[in-house]
Amino acid sequence: MTDPVFLITSLVAVGSAVAAVTRRNPVYAAVWLLICFLSFAVILLQMAAPFLAAIHVLVYTGAILVLFVFVIMLLNLKDDELGEEYGTGVWAAASALSLGLFGLMAWPILADPKLSAPLPELPADFGSVEAVGRVLFVEYGLPFELVSLLIVVAMFGAMVLAKKRLWA
Amino acid sequence: MTPYLLLSAALFSIGTFGVIARRNILIMLMALELMLNGANIALVAFARMHAAANPDGTSTAAIGQVFVLVVMAVAAGEVAVGLAIVISLWRTRRTVDTNDLQMLNG
Repeated sequence: MTDPVFLITSLVAVGSAVAAVTRRNPVYAAVWLLICFLSFAVILLQMAAPFLAAIHVLVYTGAILVLFVFVIMLLNLKDDELGEEYGTGVWAAASALSLGLFGLMAWPILADPKLSAPLPELPADFGSVEAVGRVLFVEYGLPFELVSLLIVVAMFGAMVLAKKRLWA
Repeated sequence: MTPYLLLSAALFSIGTFGVIARRNILIMLMALELMLNGANIALVAFARMHAAANPDGTSTAAIGQVFVLVVMAVAAGEVAVGLAIVISLWRTRRTVDTNDLQMLNG
């Protein structure tokens, strides 16, 4: 597993993720998050998921990140309105906690010999639109409909929450 | 498969750090997106690990990737509602600092 493309994209993903969560200004954080999401799409391509990579770019960078930037512009925060942040003590404790969490997850991953076994040969149309769509609409039709219901509810919830005066 | 899962664990941990250590609610929401993405990478990695042709040879099971689609839809709904809450908080309290939000603190 010394694939240079994976090595570079994962380093970019981790580095830009760290940069995104440590920026004070949310605009900079959004730009770093954009780089992180684009490298995610490359990683999805490497794991034989071309359809998901396209959907990832569309949904995350095209919808979610644009929504973030839209809200940041709508609030138009000045520097003193960004609020205070915790001091270095809390940051050190939080990074120790999340490093411990990483160790807790990395330990069983590294210990399991099944995970380092060579990958099975890839079926021809694995991860294509047809393969994913067939599973989604044939086997998982009810969850698909429930997800569409969830999105409708989220849409109405967002409108109700963000509207200034609901009945005016 | 090990490096992919390690990357997924790393991104989940970075997202956890962002949620714990930051007070700006916009950055906390972005860190939540990172956590969901880390979980997605693990799902896709396991789907790749168990990739196999069906007996009839025509279609292949990519169930893990279907799960990822559902997670993406949930993430989109979550961020829409979350940002609407941020806007309504800004209207009523003029703050994005989570430590200022103590109205329920009796």
